[in-house]
Parts: sequence; C-alpha cells; structure tokens
Amino acid sequence: MPKIFFATDLHGSEVCWKKFLNAARFYDADVLICGGDMTGKAIVPIVSENGHFSVALGGEQQTVPAEQVAEVEANIRRKGYYPLRMSVERLHELDSDPQKRAECFQEVMLEGVERWMNMAAEKLRSSGIRCFVCPGNDDEMEVDEVVRRSELVELGEGQIVDIDGFAMISTGWSNPTPWKTHREDSEEQLAERIESMASKIGDPSRAIFNLHCPPYKSGLDEAPAIDADLKLLHGGRALRPVGSTAVRAAIERHQPLLSLHGHIHESKGAVKIGKTLSINPGSAYEEGMLMGAIIQLDPKKGIKSYQLVNG
Amino acid sequence: MADTTLGTAAARPGLFLRNATGLVKAWSTFDAFVYSFWSVNLITLGLYGMSFAYFVPDGQVLTAVLITGVLVTFLVLAYAALVSVMPRTGGDYAWQSRVLGGGVGFVLAITGWWFTLWLWTPIYANILIVQFFEPLAYTVGLTGLAQFFATQWGVFVSCLIVLAFVSLVVTLGMETYARIQKICFWIGLVGLAVVCGLLLFASHADFQNAFNREATSLFGAGPNAYQATLDASTKGGFTGHEFTFFSLGPTLLLLPFLAFYLLWPNWGATLYGEVRGAKELRKPLQSMFWGLWVTVALVVLVLILTAKTIGWEFYNAANAAYWNPIYGVDQPAAPVPIWPYPVMFAGWLVNNHLFQAVLIAVMGLWFFGWAGTLFLSSTRVIFAAAFDRVLPSWAANISAKRRVPYGSLLLMVVPSLIVSALFAWNVFGFAAAYLDATAVIAITFLGTLVAAIILPWRRKDIYDASPIARYKILGLPMISVVGTVAAIFILFMVYEWATNATYGSNSVPSAIYLGATYLLAVVIYVAARIVRNRQGIDLSRIHHEIPVE
Repeated sequence: MPKIFFATDLHGSEVCWKKFLNAARFYDADVLICGGDMTGKAIVPIVSENGHFSVALGGEQQTVPAEQVAEVEANIRRKGYYPLRMSVERLHELDSDPQKRAECFQEVMLEGVERWMNMAAEKLRSSGIRCFVCPGNDDEMEVDEVVRRSELVELGEGQIVDIDGFAMISTGWSNPTPWKTHREDSEEQLAERIESMASKIGDPSRAIFNLHCPPYKSGLDEAPAIDADLKLLHGGRALRPVGSTAVRAAIERHQPLLSLHGHIHESKGAVKIGKTLSINPGSAYEEGMLMGAIIQLDPKKGIKSYQLVNG
Repeated sequence: MADTTLGTAAARPGLFLRNATGLVKAWSTFDAFVYSFWSVNLITLGLYGMSFAYFVPDGQVLTAVLITGVLVTFLVLAYAALVSVMPRTGGDYAWQSRVLGGGVGFVLAITGWWFTLWLWTPIYANILIVQFFEPLAYTVGLTGLAQFFATQWGVFVSCLIVLAFVSLVVTLGMETYARIQKICFWIGLVGLAVVCGLLLFASHADFQNAFNREATSLFGAGPNAYQATLDASTKGGFTGHEFTFFSLGPTLLLLPFLAFYLLWPNWGATLYGEVRGAKELRKPLQSMFWGLWVTVALVVLVLILTAKTIGWEFYNAANAAYWNPIYGVDQPAAPVPIWPYPVMFAGWLVNNHLFQAVLIAVMGLWFFGWAGTLFLSSTRVIFAAAFDRVLPSWAANISAKRRVPYGSLLLMVVPSLIVSALFAWNVFGFAAAYLDATAVIAITFLGTLVAAIILPWRRKDIYDASPIARYKILGLPMISVVGTVAAIFILFMVYEWATNATYGSNSVPSAIYLGATYLLAVVIYVAARIVRNRQGIDLSRIHHEIPVE
C-alpha cells in the first residue's frame, strides 16, 4: 500500500529539492508529493567588475575571487535564492526597470524548475516512484507548462489522480493574501475550484485533498500578525489564523481521509478535522532543512501511520 | 526594492525581491525588547530573588548583579547566534534535537520548558501574594483577607488565581496579551519612577519614621518597629554589612540567587522561530541584550536608592526577620509580619493609605504584564513533541471556535495543581526547593549551549551557510567561544545549587523532585519509542538528515 512523502514550500531551495527526491529511498516511500511554492523569492546579483565579483551576503557587501564564485552560488541556492552573475550595467538596468526585473525573475525561475525536473528524471527513472508537483500561489502560471513537459513528474493542479486506489485532488490556489500573488481566488471561487474536483470523488474515505492553503482556524494556518504596511506586530509573536474558509468547508463537507497543506511555513502540525487528518509539515527551506510528512496508507485502516520529519 | 545608486559597491542593491507570500518588514526591536525586559522582571522576580541575598551577608549585591549581567550576556550572544543559524525551527527543543539528538533534546527541553513550569506556578503565586494581595489588603484595611493569604489555603488559592489568569491569556492569544503587556509596561514604568522619586527625595530618617508609623497603623506593632525588626533578625543570627562592604568569594555566591531573575532574557528565544528578520544576528541580539542591560541598570538604581533611604542593613535585616521563621529559624516574630516589599516601603513615605494602595496596585502591573506568558513556551514545546509523535496527538489539540490549546493546557494545569498543593502545604519541605525551578531551566540552557559549542563541527553544513560563520574569536567560531563561557557560568551555578546548603536546593526532597523530573522525561521518551515502533513509526529518524546527493 502506498507510502507517501509530502513536502511543500521549497521556494527555490535546491538542497531541499535534492533531499525531496532522495526522500523516497530514505523513507521507503512510493509516492512523492510536492505541495507547491517551488520557486524562489529573490535574486542575489553577483556583480562582475574589474576581474573580481561582489555579492551582498547577510547584508554585507563582499568581494569574491573568481574561483570562489561557484561556492557562493551554491550557498545562495541553498537558501532558496537565485544567484545571477551580471555586469554593473545589467544590475543598473534591473534595478531601474521593473518590467525587465520581472522578465529576469521569470527566466531564472523557469530555468530553475526545468533543472529540477531534469534532476527528478535522473533520480527517479526506473525507480517506480511516482512524483507529483502542484505549483502554489507563489509560482507563476508558466511553471505548470514546465512541469507538464517533464519526463517523470506529474502535474497535480486541477487533476484527480489515482494513487493505488486512493483518489487525490490538488490545487495550489489560495485565498487572498496581502502580497497579491499569482494564484489567488476569493473564498467563493476557491470553493468552486475545490468542489469541481471533490464532487467527482466517489468514496471520501479513500480521498486525499492536496490543497496548498490550510483550513481556517485549524492550527495549521497561524501566521505572524502584520499591519497594513506588512510590518510584523508585537515582536513577531502575535499569531493570526489566515487559512481558507473554503478549504475548511470542503474538508468538513467531504471528510476526506487525508488533507495535505502548506503555505504557512510557521504553522507545522497535524490535526483532525472530523474524520480527516490534516497535515501541514511546515517549511524551513532557508536552513536547507526539508520538513515533510510520511504517511502510510492502508486499504482497511485508511491511515496506518503518519510522522512529521525534519530531513 | 533596493537602493538605485550604483556609485559604490556598498550602495548597490544586494538583492532583488519579487512579490511573494511572507515577505514582510522586520519586527520592531522595541517590541521584542519589551518581551525580553519582562522576562528578567526587575520587580516581581528581581525583588523577590534579591530578598534572599541576606543568606550571603558578606556578598556585595551590586557587584554580583554586574558580574551576572556580563556572564548572561555570553548566554544572550550564544542564543542570538543560534537564532540566526536556525531561525525557523528555533528553540531549545529544536536546536538540541538537531545537534545533540532527539532523545537528549526531548528530555532537556521537556524538563526545562514543561515540567519545571509546574513548580514556577506556586512561585508566581507566592510573588502575587507578597507583592500584591497582602500589602494591598493590609493597606486598605482588609486584614482578614491579608492574613488568609498567609495561610496554606491562601497560597493554594493564589496558585488557582495564577493558573486561571495564565489559562485566560492562552485563551485570549498573544496578540491581545501583547497589547495588555504594552499598557502594563508603560504604567509600570511610571510607577517605578514614582517609587524611585520617593526613595531619592526622602532621607533615611524619613523612612524610619514612616516605617514606625505604618507598622503601628497597619499592623498594630509597638512604638519602635524599626528597631524591633533589627532585633528580631539579630536574634535569628543575622549580621549584616554596609552596602559598600566587598568580598569576592561571597559575592560570587550571590550569582545563583540572581540567576532567579537575570538568567531569562533569552526566554523568548523559543519563539524566534516565528520571527522574520531573526536571521540577522543583530536583531535578536539587540532585543535580548537591551532587555538584560536596561534591567541591570534599573536594578543598580533601585539598589542604590534602597541603600540610601531604607538602609542596606535594615533591608536585609527585614528580609531575615521575614524569611527566617518560615525556614524554621527560632527568632521573635517580625513586627511587620509581611514580606519587606520596597515598593510598599516607598509608599509609606507618603502618609496616605489611598496613595499607598494605588502605588501597590500600579506596581502590580509588573506582575500582570509578565505572568501571562508562564505557559506560552510550554505549550509550544508540548505541541512540538506531539507533532514529533513523542506525545499523543491530543496534546496538540486546539478548540475549533476559540483556538484554545486545551490538550497542552491540561498537561500544564493539572500537574501544576498537584505541585502547588505540595508547595502550599510544604510537603517534604518542598517550598525550600524553589531554586530547583531555576536550576532545571539552567540545565536546559546548558544543553543548548553544548549544542551551540559543537555546532560548527557537528552541523558544519548549517553553520557554514549561516551569517555567523564569519565571526571568529582567536580563530575559533564565535558561537563556540561565547557558548563555552556561558556554559562554565551555568556549570558553576549548578554545582553550587547541588552542593551548597545556602540555596535550599541540595536537600533530599529537592534531589527526589529533580530525579523524578528527569526520570519521567526519560520514561516518556523510551515508552514513546517503543509504542511508536510497534505502530511502524521510527522516532529516531525525525531529525535524521536526508542525503543531498
């Protein structure tokens, strides 16, 4: 019976993606599911000038000899940022032109996803391990096409897929966020999006809802409170539930066996909502740590066991 | 977006960000400072802890406070460094588990952040009695109520009040409580300014007269209660010194007493995992550093003013006269039968009971703005252990409507009630072992410091990728050096608590309590390993790193 490894919100961390691919063998899992938000949030310019390179790491500008640039790039990738070598002129261009910057971001992100898909093909070929990816609200729409083209990774978004007799529906869309990201719906639209898949599932006791956004007030959706200016309130210690009411309603109505979530990195946890086990493994991609969940499914028991791990 | 000036390398943008979830502006250092400042609470913990300094009459408190401040700074540096290495998964439990292993992390974190908080409940309750209920009740003429709180049932009732208050705060959530804390912070500071002003502008003779007047008025004492207090302490064997008396050895022996309040500026470090911006060393360091040193500065001020107006020898004699009979020393009863609260003494300099009552009530905000976080870290650690499947999953349950973590609250409140009863009725001499509460958390810190010391070698990958990797002292990693200094400081205190009778924590009941605490943690962990293994869950792999290549 399928043993699932689920991780989410890798945000461009190449170390985490490599660990994700290796997790199947490490935990004896048959199925890998990446819950979304694969792409990074930042580009770190490595500026070429007068025969050396300069880069700002940890807020401090450093000069790096050419032979150490590869090491610096690896360090930057580890944190989920995109290192990009460029001239001073290119730096100026990107800094002053938001359109060019957006194009540059899309280019490096799609390149990154393509590279990850190729890694997956190399690692998983002939292994019999199935790997699903469902881009999240931070991933641009073009990411889907790159995943769709991949040799071994299956795109989850909007699909009902069969995993050894268990039906999984997926969406990376979220309720509105203050950042106005790429895949945001109103709660009503999100409810419709989920319902369009959920209503086609016959037996909810053998269903998996892979929904990027966690259910509202579940304990899996507690994010640090911020003000209108996106400033953290009360020293970052005050938490607010920011999950989706549509996701919660869908879980309460259909009572799937399992629901898998991400989106709120700080809110790691596993809770029961009625008959449903809902999991958010959290994310610590900046530390190069892969937080994940191992779920052993059983045709009779439903969920035989589950465990949250920090790999 | 970053600076657009391209003139110098330093002025160039170092990072291009796109619009993505979670990119927020950093938290206010002041907000984090307030939390740290409350943790080393000068009034509640500070005055209570320093009232035991008379046990080491040859020690010089002012010097001891400064030495403690310097040594705790190393602890703060080590914790700030750990926060910046592993911000997202922060806290003693996660750091120790990732560096030292899951079993060690569980035993040390669960004893320090869960079990020992049961013992802090009656300590909080006792502080509430001596700084709020008793002085306030006597001042407004409710003598019967004041006397009730001096009984064992009174102590237990105060424990219930503390538990109810703490549970309410957990239910309300940190956002609401943070607002309450801010209000308490500012009003409490005004109250402290009034206390300091009264002590500054009054003379020792003024205090002596005020003491005699109020001792008679509020407590029915004889005409010279001031002298009677000194006499009572002398008959109990106390011999004091002037404030300026100095002797290094005894001064160092004061450090384990001062740790009762000065060891906690890193209290909030368990929560930094939720804080963006924590990856910079500067932010968490500043919050904890200033929380510690603003408190140290205020302690110095309060001590000097106390010595000037109340009189250092009298203050210690009053403490001896109060505590000695409680600890079984045969001496005459003190004419003022309640704890010598400097705030109450300062209020007595104004001959008006309403003013005195208001001052005590205002200074009570130092308690109510602080005590609410008693179980905050405990609930987080219980949640983490439940998510790791070491504890049953119900321990992390929260109610759907109000998001109350009732599972973890139950695990805190029920044992706290039992420990409170043991404390209130002093079963097995339990009340004397109050410094165990400090010792167990200090041992947890020690585990974290060991993790910090070996981090650069044990988790080289994480360390090398962190912003602190470039900080060296004499060619050694900064985190290892500061961690070693802080660890030696804690080892010294653990040795003293374990061997020196002065602290009341080297008794047989204390050893049994501590032993039972650690044994229980080990039993829970081993039982969880066995039970989960039967369920096909291998707890040993929770923190095993997946190979990258």
